[in-house]
Amino acid sequence: MRAFTNILFKKVFLVTFLLSLLLMSCKSTVDINGYFPSPVINKLPYSIGVIFDKEFSSYRYIEKSEKREKWEIDVGDAQVKMLNVVLKAMFSNMEVTSDLQSTSGDTLDLFFQPNLENFQYNVPYETKGNMFEVWLKYNMKVYDSQGQIIADWILTAYGKTPSEFLKSQEAALNDAMVIALRDLGAGLSLRFSQVPEINKWLKTRGKSNTPPTNIVKDKIVI
Amino acid sequence: MENKTTVFTSVHIAMLCFLFGCTSVTVDQVKHEDVELHQGDSIVVIGRRTGSDYETEPDLIACIGSALSQTNTALNVIPESDFVNKLYPWFEARTAPVHVQDLSRLLSYEKISKIIDEYQVQYIVWVDGNTERTRSSGNISCGLSPAGAACFGFGTWDTKSEYEATIWDYKSRQLVGKVSSVADGTSYMPAIVIPIPIVAPVQRHACQTMANQLSNFFTNK
Repeated sequence: MRAFTNILFKKVFLVTFLLSLLLMSCKSTVDINGYFPSPVINKLPYSIGVIFDKEFSSYRYIEKSEKREKWEIDVGDAQVKMLNVVLKAMFSNMEVTSDLQSTSGDTLDLFFQPNLENFQYNVPYETKGNMFEVWLKYNMKVYDSQGQIIADWILTAYGKTPSEFLKSQEAALNDAMVIALRDLGAGLSLRFSQVPEINKWLKTRGKSNTPPTNIVKDKIVI
Repeated sequence: MENKTTVFTSVHIAMLCFLFGCTSVTVDQVKHEDVELHQGDSIVVIGRRTGSDYETEPDLIACIGSALSQTNTALNVIPESDFVNKLYPWFEARTAPVHVQDLSRLLSYEKISKIIDEYQVQYIVWVDGNTERTRSSGNISCGLSPAGAACFGFGTWDTKSEYEATIWDYKSRQLVGKVSSVADGTSYMPAIVIPIPIVAPVQRHACQTMANQLSNFFTNK
């Protein structure tokens, strides 16, 4: 009888332990990782400083809704990686700066500051089409060498990927996110010059051909 | 002797159906122009991803490309990811040319036409469609107790694959033909202690038949 009680106790303990493990593994964590190719476009003959603030470069989405599964999605590194590749291809010179000032001492014509305003996703049980979907809404700001704002516009991106047999949720969401970031890169590289304010600036620069000037930090207007 | 062979074949098919589930495939083809592939010419198979409620699976595109290379070793098939990455951002879901006329506009950009020329692309095959579960029924219950875990019940589901390939002649900027493949299949999952999935490989069959038909298309059969 004692031996039976011992076996029963061990089995109950094992089942409880396995159930605890299952409950612990309910949270999904994704560090977005993918390949971002360099776009085939003509370079603009300008140098640009890119400001990735801390909030942007370490952006991490944490699902807080009680009605949804727990997700932690690290977007920061991937979006910085993608923008580095795309902006290098868009401009003759690109450097990462911490503010509206060149870090290398080189003269910069423009400053670019992206901001991820909204991140949304859907997982298959929330969609009709059995798909993972990602929406990104960015606010892009471009400043001239004096720190004066030239353009401030919204750029959206979308990515989706079907769920597949034996493919983890994390891998599928990662793929959807990479597609969305590629879409963002496509939108930025192909439509940058068509943003009316930027287009006007490019035309003015093309005509006046004035050399870019360095800015003094305390004269920056944001 | 003939009867014995027929019975054996029937049993063989029935067993295969039992092991993998059964699939039926319908293939259709329209050819507007004769195709001509020369030594060194390549084709590229790309997924069309403009559908709002479905996505042409990248795995299916890779499957068609690989099956096409195996079916017809004379065909040089460029992997989708290589082609799309090399021509980024011009073949993304929202930027890819939708009509064959759009190709001319795209190729007026020298950098793009140079890359495609380097690949020696003769035909671009756009595949649009998806595989989805159309019906499911049955019930399987599983239980967990200190004595162990067990399942009991029966489940069945139907899957449908529907794909259409549109073939563009890169050199003449013309639509040369279309190939479609529709596959249906039913999968089963009996569960007596453990669930045993008997899955109909519907998408794989759709891929294989599409690849065979495309191979015939390019060899003028």
